[in-house]
Amino acid sequence: MNARTWARRNLFRSVPDGVCTIVFGALGLFLLYKTLNYVFFTGRWTIIQDNLKLLMVGRFPVAHLPRLAVSAIVLAGWAGFLAGFVRGRQIRDGKAPAHVSLARRVRAALGRIWLPCTVILLLLLLSTTIGPWLTALGAAAAALAGWLIGPFVGKRRLGRAGATILVLAVAATPLVLYYYIVTAVGFDGWGGFYLNLYLALVSIVLCYPLGVLLALGRRSKLPLIQTISIVYIEAIRGAPLFVLLLLANTALQFFVPADVAPSKPARAIVVFTLFTAAYMAEIIRGGLQSVPRGQFEAARALGLSPTRQTGLIILPQALRNVIPAQIGQLISLFKDTVLAGVAMGLFELLEVADAITQQGDFRGQRLSPEVLAFSGLLFWTVAYTMSRESQRLERRLGVGTR
Amino acid sequence: MSEFSDATQVTDERDVLIELAHVDKFFGDFQALRDINLRVGRQEVVVVIGPSGSGKSTMIRCINRLEEHDAGRIAVDGVELTHDVRNIQEIRRETGMVFQSFNLFPHLSVLDNITLAPRHVRKMSRAKAEALGMELLATVRIPEQAKKYPGQLSGGQQQRVAIARALAMRPKVMLFDEPTSALDPEMINEVLDTMKDLAREGMTMIVVTHEMGFAREVADRVVFMADGEIVEVGAPEHFFTDPREERTKAFLSQIL
Repeated sequence: MNARTWARRNLFRSVPDGVCTIVFGALGLFLLYKTLNYVFFTGRWTIIQDNLKLLMVGRFPVAHLPRLAVSAIVLAGWAGFLAGFVRGRQIRDGKAPAHVSLARRVRAALGRIWLPCTVILLLLLLSTTIGPWLTALGAAAAALAGWLIGPFVGKRRLGRAGATILVLAVAATPLVLYYYIVTAVGFDGWGGFYLNLYLALVSIVLCYPLGVLLALGRRSKLPLIQTISIVYIEAIRGAPLFVLLLLANTALQFFVPADVAPSKPARAIVVFTLFTAAYMAEIIRGGLQSVPRGQFEAARALGLSPTRQTGLIILPQALRNVIPAQIGQLISLFKDTVLAGVAMGLFELLEVADAITQQGDFRGQRLSPEVLAFSGLLFWTVAYTMSRESQRLERRLGVGTR
Repeated sequence: MSEFSDATQVTDERDVLIELAHVDKFFGDFQALRDINLRVGRQEVVVVIGPSGSGKSTMIRCINRLEEHDAGRIAVDGVELTHDVRNIQEIRRETGMVFQSFNLFPHLSVLDNITLAPRHVRKMSRAKAEALGMELLATVRIPEQAKKYPGQLSGGQQQRVAIARALAMRPKVMLFDEPTSALDPEMINEVLDTMKDLAREGMTMIVVTHEMGFAREVADRVVFMADGEIVEVGAPEHFFTDPREERTKAFLSQIL
């Protein structure tokens, strides 16, 4: 099919089609022109470049930035190790091909991470110091090394004691990193996009198991557990997140003396966790209801204990069936972290973005569009990556193939 | 049990594997089972027939407590079914069940479906369980499907996997709840053949089915149920040619 027939068939099939094509095509080109013109010519991006450090890590002391760099590198190696470990297991179980050509492997990896890599590269190009470059390169190298080591560790070479130590080390790594950073710079000193990411990540990890427990609790036959779950879910879902954040900020002092009260980011994490868990519980309950009755009966007939029925048969199917809704909720959580800025005075990305437009050099220059566009790009990059990864997960787990 | 003075009734106490005595079951106000009395001996094959809604499925689902009976006594190999969870678990370990709609676990491979219970209930090692699983897949004649997922198999193959899954627990009795009713006609025989193999090897079986040919060929006794009651019990040769009860005659005249 040549271009002419393609255009006739798809763009100018009838007179109304042709009119629509011309009108919306012109509009699209106009918007594209305006956007590109803004991005490359009229936009005053020096405000981003000058404040890059503030936007990314807030008022984190420069002297302690190496700690963040070390943490990022360790975390990258840790994540790479886990990915490699899982992959090694899949290969041994025959669920993933053992030999993939290097070219295909690189293509597949780029297909997955080109977007975050591009944005990170953009940030590196904007930066004026060598630190971020070294950190990024170190993180990439650590991730690759971890990914290569991962498959070998799983081969039962360690024995029971070794395996236990390894599991503990893997589980403790994020905690150790947290204390490594927090001993240098108190939790209240964290800020910028880094704080948004941190709040979201910790809340996601904590809210997920809580949501599962609440969903199971709501379906429990024990009246007490069921009542607690229902009351909790309905109470939390009825309150606006913003109000809960404000309450955590102001009302806590009525109950807890100021000197033992948790820091603001910790309070924000608690609110995000409790809030999202209620929504996750209802989503997961929907998943539980989508598992046919016969699955419960077959599991019972085999003599599986109730815990194993749930853990091995029901939950895997239930969670798989509602991946899109779950990821949607978690993306929501991530974006809602900006509310912690307004409600609790945390110096997260949007607060930074607002603050830098008030700086001496930039005041009164109406630079909000620039900083907001930049903030939006960062959020969109992470959220879209989450969305893509969830779609990949769905395909991997074979949703819809029964 | 004086109600059934039939020659085929199990007499020796030691040979009774399953006993139901005066079992009643209600769904709300509806009485699904009325005073059910049935004893099944070791290595016996009992086929249960009757019109739909007559309580056939409910009866065998009471035996492994998928339904709870309201009165009477049910015992499997001397263990009485009570509210004690340990008793229920013990009986479920000893009874294999095959469902009308297969109920395979769609997120697990065929082999994992079969090895799940041996590994997690019998605490068998993975390697041993998989060896057992492959052996069972060979007996139901589909060893080549081990790595596939249930959704990739035909109905007849799925039902044979379901039989292998139930056998993997080495049960003392197999309960079949209309195992061929959800199958396309051309797949019914492959499942019935598997069941015949089992019967020949001496497995104790209770089979709810509409396959009269199977009943005639394999059953030691045929149980006819209607309106929640056992109406008539007899050896297939007498049952199909010379039924005593009017309701049995009416039912047989409809389906034969």
